[in-house]
Amino acid sequence: MPITYEDTASGVRLIKLSGRMDIAGTGQIEVLFASLSCAETLKVVADLSAVEFLASIGIRSLISNAKAQHNRGGKFVLFVGDNAQVAKTLETTGIDALIPMFRDFGDALAAVA
Amino acid sequence: MTALAIGPCCFAVAADAAGAGAASAWLAQVCAGHGVPPDQVYRLDTCLTEALANVIAHGGEGALAAPVVLTLFLEEAGSECCAVLEIADGGRPFDPLAHRAAPRAATLDEAIPGGLGLTMIRSASDRQDYAYRGGQNRLTLRFCWPLFR
Repeated sequence: MPITYEDTASGVRLIKLSGRMDIAGTGQIEVLFASLSCAETLKVVADLSAVEFLASIGIRSLISNAKAQHNRGGKFVLFVGDNAQVAKTLETTGIDALIPMFRDFGDALAAVA
Repeated sequence: MTALAIGPCCFAVAADAAGAGAASAWLAQVCAGHGVPPDQVYRLDTCLTEALANVIAHGGEGALAAPVVLTLFLEEAGSECCAVLEIADGGRPFDPLAHRAAPRAATLDEAIPGGLGLTMIRSASDRQDYAYRGGQNRLTLRFCWPLFR
């Protein structure tokens, strides 16, 4: 599954994930995702707005990276936009209570600023 | 689109990541061909993916050596349509429904990655049944949604 990132002028690392975050998809990106998310102390926005499917293995990857960044003293939030299915999965599993989740991109950026 | 009833539709996959991907592709194709709404396909796919992940992780050598057989029925029942998905694997007897979901962590510090599959299956399907029969674990999941004509 595709993963890209951008370091913004305001010091935020925006990691954009797309495609299926299932067993195969997460396996393809988990090492790079971890490296981009938590190799250094950062303000991370993980953009899930284009994720087509989110399985528990993908959630595991989100928790691991958020936890690692949190332990470093950085920030890690989720941006879901209008991706209702992914938002519902995160809410159903209670992940939105552990990792801040935003539908508005400006709110996500403000949360890590 | 109105959903149509279909008889059993079967597919067999290996208990590995590629097999799980093939299973999701099969599910999407069958559902698209029979008018299952996308949000219901997502529910089915969630449960199928999590069930296969359990087989891969916990089924042992028996599960990995034999194909996992998937069976899908669609039926109209009054004002609703229901899908019944069975996942049958040759792994050691394992009833996933007998295991309680781990309590939710209150904070990220307390969170332990993993263990969400059963929670997702229970929340995404309307009914779950398990039986060990004919040397196979058979997890049967039911999904219903309103029919709009």
